[in-house]
Amino acid sequence: MTQEQPIIVAKHVSKIFTDPVEFRVLDDINLTVDRGEFVVLVGPSGSGKTTLMYALSTLDTEYEGTITVDGTDIKALNPNQLAQFRNTTIGFVFQFHYLLPDFTVLDNVSLPAIKAGLWSPEEIEERAMKNLTLLGVADQARKRSSRLSGGQQQRVAIARALMNNPKILFGDEPTGNLDTKNTALVLDILQDLKTEFHQTILMVTHDMQFTERADRVVAIRDGRIIQHEQQ
Amino acid sequence: MISRLRNNPLIKIAWVHLVSKKRQTIVAMLGVMFGVTVFIFQAGLLTGLQNYFIEKTVNTTAHIHIYNEVRAERPHVLDNVREYDATWKVVRNQKPRDEERRLRNGYQILRALERDPRVEGVAPYLGLQGIVRFGTAQQAATLAGVDIVREDQLFRVQENLIDGDMLRMQTIPNAIILGAGLADKLGVQVDDNIAIISSKGVVLDMKIVAVSKTGITAQDNTRAYISIRNAQRLLQQSGAYITDINVRLRDVNDAQAIATEYQARYQYRAEDWVAANANIFGVFRIQNITITFVIASILVVSGFGIFNILMTIIYEKMPDIAILKAMGYRNKDISTIFVIESLVIGITGGLLGLLLGFIASMIMSTIPLNIQGFVSVQYLTINFNPVFYLVAFGFALLSTAIAGYFPARKASRFDPVEIIRSR
Ligand SMILES: Nc1ncnc2c1ncn2[C@@H]1O[C@H](COP(=O)(O)OP(=O)(O)O)[C@@H](O)[C@H]1O
Ligand SMILES: [Mg+2]
Repeated sequence: MTQEQPIIVAKHVSKIFTDPVEFRVLDDINLTVDRGEFVVLVGPSGSGKTTLMYALSTLDTEYEGTITVDGTDIKALNPNQLAQFRNTTIGFVFQFHYLLPDFTVLDNVSLPAIKAGLWSPEEIEERAMKNLTLLGVADQARKRSSRLSGGQQQRVAIARALMNNPKILFGDEPTGNLDTKNTALVLDILQDLKTEFHQTILMVTHDMQFTERADRVVAIRDGRIIQHEQQ
Repeated sequence: MISRLRNNPLIKIAWVHLVSKKRQTIVAMLGVMFGVTVFIFQAGLLTGLQNYFIEKTVNTTAHIHIYNEVRAERPHVLDNVREYDATWKVVRNQKPRDEERRLRNGYQILRALERDPRVEGVAPYLGLQGIVRFGTAQQAATLAGVDIVREDQLFRVQENLIDGDMLRMQTIPNAIILGAGLADKLGVQVDDNIAIISSKGVVLDMKIVAVSKTGITAQDNTRAYISIRNAQRLLQQSGAYITDINVRLRDVNDAQAIATEYQARYQYRAEDWVAANANIFGVFRIQNITITFVIASILVVSGFGIFNILMTIIYEKMPDIAILKAMGYRNKDISTIFVIESLVIGITGGLLGLLLGFIASMIMSTIPLNIQGFVSVQYLTINFNPVFYLVAFGFALLSTAIAGYFPARKASRFDPVEIIRSR
């Protein structure tokens, strides 16, 4: 496995929903993402962006074709291996933050690292604080996550997604519920992650700010990739 | 909190879930507690009574009772004569033969049994129905002709005396010991003189030397001890006439085997104490089955309580489950959360139930009741056997585990994609 090898390779990926009617949501998708690349996925609502993201991020393994992430064929993994792979390789930010409401910010951010079991409690706290600082919410660490504003919560969710140094950070409209100011803030942070840490980022968004700053914009319509636009 | 979370976030998640559903959690715990309390209390009460009764019975029933079984029914005389068809059968109203209840070589058997090393004591017995009369008051009684020293060795006669002296039976020729109920009904006490009358019309004047109270109402109300000699006189029989031999063994558990052996050897019915009290053990068995069902249904209901709260939590916390899975927590981690929750409910409720059951039993055992019934007791004898506590707790955990298993499995099988999509 060399650095030059792409981090994501999707070949002939198709997916069909049968309920309520048979419907080809992904239609022969071929996509390669390089390490350190910032890719934005755009397309009209219902075009299959979320479905594709779930497949690429190993959450969904029910599709035709093959997806290789960091050299691993996803479908070859059993559920436990898949969980571990997700834990160590993938960070995911959803449209909703999905923080555990009764836990503190620090506890929430620590959860993926505890599961990984690679660090001592002190190290985990240190990492968590470092990430919260990076996202500008370190001062909220001891608060219950439900007390934070929407923008803060989403930034905590990003901090959580970064906890185990994921090889890829996925985002499915992570700024969809944020105002312009917070969206800009999140975008700046992602940009920093890319330039400073060479973080690979794959993101679905409708926001024009993102499409301007991404390395590449992939447009999807009716389950097909219709355009690769190199910036 | 934080250090515990670091060690095991699943425990904290489980804890947070339960705390966020405080009221339902408490209700579920109370359900388990109630089941365990009832279990301990009922089992203690019931087996306490049963043990009390068995103990009384063992002390008042011979381990082996040897007697001459007189069969009322016997084959028709004509059956032995020849083959006949229905029209031949003419003799009606055939009476039972005047068979003797006597043990023919009773005292020989008695001495042989005494030499058996497994036997602790042997007592001869000659019983008859009679009437006890005091002035104008009279009561039917079972007159037990006994050798009082041997009888005491077997049945702890002395221990049960509430008044008088057993040994005067040996010095006073016409001594009688009355059951407490019998003495009450006649209105007599120790040193009063009474008359006993047998069905043969023999009347003997007797002196009351003691009053006995075994706690078994039926016995206390009807039984009187007299000497074997007097019993023989009442029946107009000679000095070797006895009808029963009672045997006390060194080990009561051998009773059945030894009884079988004696029956074969002496050709008289030899009945062990369990067989003699078969009907009572039958009642016990029915009681135990009933109570088992009651307790089982309570535990099933409390199981539903746990099932219910877990299902509520699971549906409410679906997003939490989804994100945990999305960040790499395994199915087993998710089910562990809910297993922990059900165990917390089960263990807490179970321990509370043990405590409450113990306290309730303690209180019950100190309340004076003075029950007069099947047996007469002043206090309820509660069985505090630790096995009940273990079993009750075990059952609580089992029902909890079963009730928790299905929700836990359901939660672990949730597809995070479906949950996240449905937002
Ligand atoms: N579980 C499902 N069963 C049937 N149809 C689905 C399911 N999930 C999504 N779809 C449909 O698939 C299409 C693509 O959905 P999605 O990937 O969420 O699109 P996008 O994220 O681009 O808006 C939509 O029409 C949606 O209704
Ligand atoms: Mg979508």
